[in-house]
Amino acid sequence: MWNPVVILQSIVSGILMGGIFALFGVGFSLTWGVMKVINIAHAAFGILAAYVAYWGLTVFGIDPILSLAVSLPLLFCAGVLIHRFLVQPITRSRDVVVASMVLTFGLAIVLENLMLLAWSPDERLITTGYSSTSIFLGDIIIRISNLLAFVLSMVGIGAIYLFLYRTRTGKAVRATWQDPEGAALQGINLRRVSMITFGMAIASSGAGGVAMAYMYSFNPPAHNLWLIFLFLVVIVGGVGSILGSAVAGLIIGVIIGLSGAFFPMQWVNVLLFGLLMGILLIKPEGLFRK
Amino acid sequence: MNSTLKRTTFFTLLLALALLPLIQPPTYFLSFIFKVFLYVILSASWNLIGGFAGYLSFGHVAFFGIGVYVSAMLFQQLAVSPFLGAIPAGLFAGLVAWIIGYPCLRLRGPYFAVVTLCFAFIADLVVKNWSFLGGSEGIHLKLVQMDIQFSRSLFYEIFLCLAGVTVYTLRKIQTSKFGLGLASIREDEEVAQTLCIPTARLKTRAFVLSAFFPGVAGGIYAYYISYVHPDIVFDINISILIVLMALFGGGRSWEGPVIGAVSLSIVNEFLSIFIRPEFARIIYGTMFMVVIIFMPDGIVPFLKRNAKPRSGVIDSSMAGGS
Repeated sequence: MWNPVVILQSIVSGILMGGIFALFGVGFSLTWGVMKVINIAHAAFGILAAYVAYWGLTVFGIDPILSLAVSLPLLFCAGVLIHRFLVQPITRSRDVVVASMVLTFGLAIVLENLMLLAWSPDERLITTGYSSTSIFLGDIIIRISNLLAFVLSMVGIGAIYLFLYRTRTGKAVRATWQDPEGAALQGINLRRVSMITFGMAIASSGAGGVAMAYMYSFNPPAHNLWLIFLFLVVIVGGVGSILGSAVAGLIIGVIIGLSGAFFPMQWVNVLLFGLLMGILLIKPEGLFRK
Repeated sequence: MNSTLKRTTFFTLLLALALLPLIQPPTYFLSFIFKVFLYVILSASWNLIGGFAGYLSFGHVAFFGIGVYVSAMLFQQLAVSPFLGAIPAGLFAGLVAWIIGYPCLRLRGPYFAVVTLCFAFIADLVVKNWSFLGGSEGIHLKLVQMDIQFSRSLFYEIFLCLAGVTVYTLRKIQTSKFGLGLASIREDEEVAQTLCIPTARLKTRAFVLSAFFPGVAGGIYAYYISYVHPDIVFDINISILIVLMALFGGGRSWEGPVIGAVSLSIVNEFLSIFIRPEFARIIYGTMFMVVIIFMPDGIVPFLKRNAKPRSGVIDSSMAGGS
């Protein structure tokens, strides 16, 4: 049990898993931070993208990563439309956080059941030609598909980071996150900024969902479980922080990996929820928020 | 409608509901109304902390589940009668609420929502993995054999009483000093504190009280289902449903959760009878979106606002103004 190979192996697979949580959580964290909208349907969009990728693979034989080229722009547009017609009307309500949770909960139910109608509740797993091959680093085994999903996640997070810190629009998004009123006074169009943020968040959820689908089997109701990981990432990393989400994702991945090696699986979840509760009670602003 | 007429209508309705089992309605019908009462109890008591004080607890099903397990264990280990066991069940749920409320109620908004959600998950997982409590196999309660129609009627009457007590308590609290204190916490907690309102004490009291009723309901529900399993009584969907029912009806008043629970239960039941469950759920989900977009404060305030201009002086002035 205390074999160093086992420990290293679980750390490595934890890191691979954590990278995906990080990409998945970034968009969730951004909409929460920038717009005060908690998007309960975030993970459902990830599942949707995973289904599109699965479909592309089984029907047309397109590699899941390539299918992202189609599904990401579509998800971005879907995000913009949802923002325009669903999220925008509730931003004037007294308590945006509560209203957005109820709204997106409804949206998640609708999405989940549309997917159930389209793809049935059977569990799916994305298996490509390279799924079964692995790399060996000494005694540690790394599956190619997991590595690919990890690289995809890192590229995704890198792209979002560059967008936020190297472009004018990204700067506007960050300004809105820090102080919406101040940003509006500087002539930033809040509506446009939140529209872009929302579209980007939904698109990043799609990429995260495809990356998740490489590692875990999924079916429409699985988004409820994935949502818990999103909350974990955001609360550990601090709301709205990109680097925080990235680090939090990795930490959570390693904790899950390590505890999976030492505890029976059902207690791992107790540990995770206990961790989340503990962090909320001791440091609710997240571990990495400045 | 003046208050005497209102009160007469209310009591007539209550009496009609109480006498309903006498005409021997179908058992299915009784069970359905029993479920409606359960949701009225849960969402009305949730409304104390969630609607009045604005602290969205997403873990309320845990108190219900704790109540179920306390009375089930009391029955199994000490052979305490189901209906007596409900009281300690409620008290224990209140005690748990007091213990976790002390640290958790310092958190606000979404953080409180997430921490209570985690609490519900932990409660579920602990019960599921603890063999003393039956683990994931659940507990079978060996009950006295009763005629099904009679037992359903009995449970129906008990839950009618409990729902009545819960709603009455909620209504009394709404207009009391305690209720106004909670409203001030919801509107602006800092200002409430500067006005010397003991916010921490009021929140804890509301939280404990809002856990007590689900605990009692759970204590009785254990005997109703007679097979207790964590997946049934700690189902997180119940938690979410009671929040949505209260918000759907409108969390600021006592009528809100009652109307929300009754209307959503009926809609849910009808939809799932007539169409495929997936379509039913899609309509259900769409309904939440429509309500939150067009009536963000819930149905009751929306109806009140739209009903007002039709009578009296306000009508002419508003018509003249527009």
